[in-house]
Amino acid sequence: MMVRRLCKKWVIYPFIKHKVRHFLNPLKIFVALGCVSAVLSVLVLLGFLIQSSLPFWQAFGIQVLWGDAWYPYESLFGFLPAIVGTVWALLIAMIIALPCGLAAAIVSSEMMSETWRNLVRVGMEILAGIPSVVYGLIGLWLLLPFLQHSLDLLTGHNLLAAGMILSLMILPTIMVMSQDALQAISEEQRESAMNLGVDWQQRLFRVLLPQAWPGIRSGILLALGRALGETMAVMLVVGSMDRLPEPFYNILEPAQTLTSRIGREMGEASFGSLHFSALMGCGLILAVMAMGLSLLAQHRSLIR
Amino acid sequence: MNLSHKAMPEPIEGSQKNVGHAFDSLCCEHLYLHLSNQVILKDVSFSLPEKGITSLIGPSGAGKSSLLRCITGLNETWQGDIKLNQQHLRQWHGGVDALRKHIGLISQKPSVFPVSIAENVTFGLSRKQRKQNQSTWIQHCLEKAALWDEVKHRLNMPAASLSLGQQQRLCLARALALKPSMLLLDEPTASLDPRSKALIEASLRQLAESMPLLCVTHDLQQTQRLQGQVIFMCDGKIIETGACGDFFEHPKRIETREFLQWSVCDCGD
Repeated sequence: MMVRRLCKKWVIYPFIKHKVRHFLNPLKIFVALGCVSAVLSVLVLLGFLIQSSLPFWQAFGIQVLWGDAWYPYESLFGFLPAIVGTVWALLIAMIIALPCGLAAAIVSSEMMSETWRNLVRVGMEILAGIPSVVYGLIGLWLLLPFLQHSLDLLTGHNLLAAGMILSLMILPTIMVMSQDALQAISEEQRESAMNLGVDWQQRLFRVLLPQAWPGIRSGILLALGRALGETMAVMLVVGSMDRLPEPFYNILEPAQTLTSRIGREMGEASFGSLHFSALMGCGLILAVMAMGLSLLAQHRSLIR
Repeated sequence: MNLSHKAMPEPIEGSQKNVGHAFDSLCCEHLYLHLSNQVILKDVSFSLPEKGITSLIGPSGAGKSSLLRCITGLNETWQGDIKLNQQHLRQWHGGVDALRKHIGLISQKPSVFPVSIAENVTFGLSRKQRKQNQSTWIQHCLEKAALWDEVKHRLNMPAASLSLGQQQRLCLARALALKPSMLLLDEPTASLDPRSKALIEASLRQLAESMPLLCVTHDLQQTQRLQGQVIFMCDGKIIETGACGDFFEHPKRIETREFLQWSVCDCGD
């Protein structure tokens, strides 16, 4: 032990510059490696997606992004129906889940006793832990017949069903993250506002929500990420029809999302084929969309 | 410049409907408070003069802060009677939010909102009042809190950039912006440096010329500097009250003498 220490001090250290020596601490090395691996994994993932989808992009070019026909066996690859479907499903999910999640967080954080708050939280955490295929099955057996009969549709498989199932799945994320953000605001801030005779609505909009916004924003981002990447539940209810909604706001017809397409067709595509490469392109578009959302959420105006 | 309370310009549109009495005084009668099966206040009765400082002293856990929280409605489970302007607090016109605009409460730890200094001052005003130009009013409130000279060139800076002492004076200005009838102060200088302490005490002395102030403090030297009336509380009860000089020179009750003795020892250490 002594010899090792002396070796370090007199043999190794004199040859290493002071700044480098500063980073030789094992904990610092571990932290730095973790940091590098996080960045590296994103780059590797992107590189892999680009490399595997490159043959497809080389063969068909970027115009496939706005093509509306998808017949892989006739070498027709149009991405637009799946992109539109994905955006619609995300939008419907957020329209339902954001107000509900936020309201649930406000009620549980500001109006409930600690016992009830914990009870609601446990419920939400259980909801978050349920596998996505179970949500899909619930949608298949409960939601689809309900939509079909109540809206008098030919089939219940549609974008509305996909959005509704997704909203149920992302609700716990938004609620729990928003609740944490609201709970993190100090009691002094609440009492200061109360002491000024500010009513609860103003306290909410002028004190609580602005201060909790960074946490709520993170919750929305995580929820969007989950909704964007969700495959199984969406695949079971969306209908998997590669066509654009007609008119564009018709969310009551079967449609397709990027994840659902990948999940449904990957087993049929032979490795290395153009079809396989096109599905990798779908993955690349999903990754770019997720990154875009992430960048948008970190935009300065939104942070404030 | 005359900075007395009555000489201050009115904020655009008066913020209280209950103003209008010739005098403002607080009267607590047989006040009891129970929290978690513990008796916090036992038969507390006292009244405040129309103006002047009343210091509320006593050992920790005596119920001083709880008493202030009862008056402002932060503790709502009290029993007994509290009257302000001869009006029962529980039947206050406009509810507890309107009442709180009438009573300014400064707590021990300054808590400023993450907005600018000027916005902090006008935070309690209504939306309509905030939209109108309140620069003269902001100036007067900050002057009364002895903060104007230090912040007049940076009113749009975040309030969090101020020092702790400045933040406490900003809280005072924020409470004064609502033109309260009385001020309740819960150890307002507990964690401040001597200069900030002196500035706040000077402001309080000036404010006491026009409104009643009830100041909870552990600093007996501060109590003597502020003069006025003294209320001594122990174990949730009022033990003794009296004028400042008389209270310190001729305490009547044995509990008061013991408390003062301990406090003198503490100051000596």
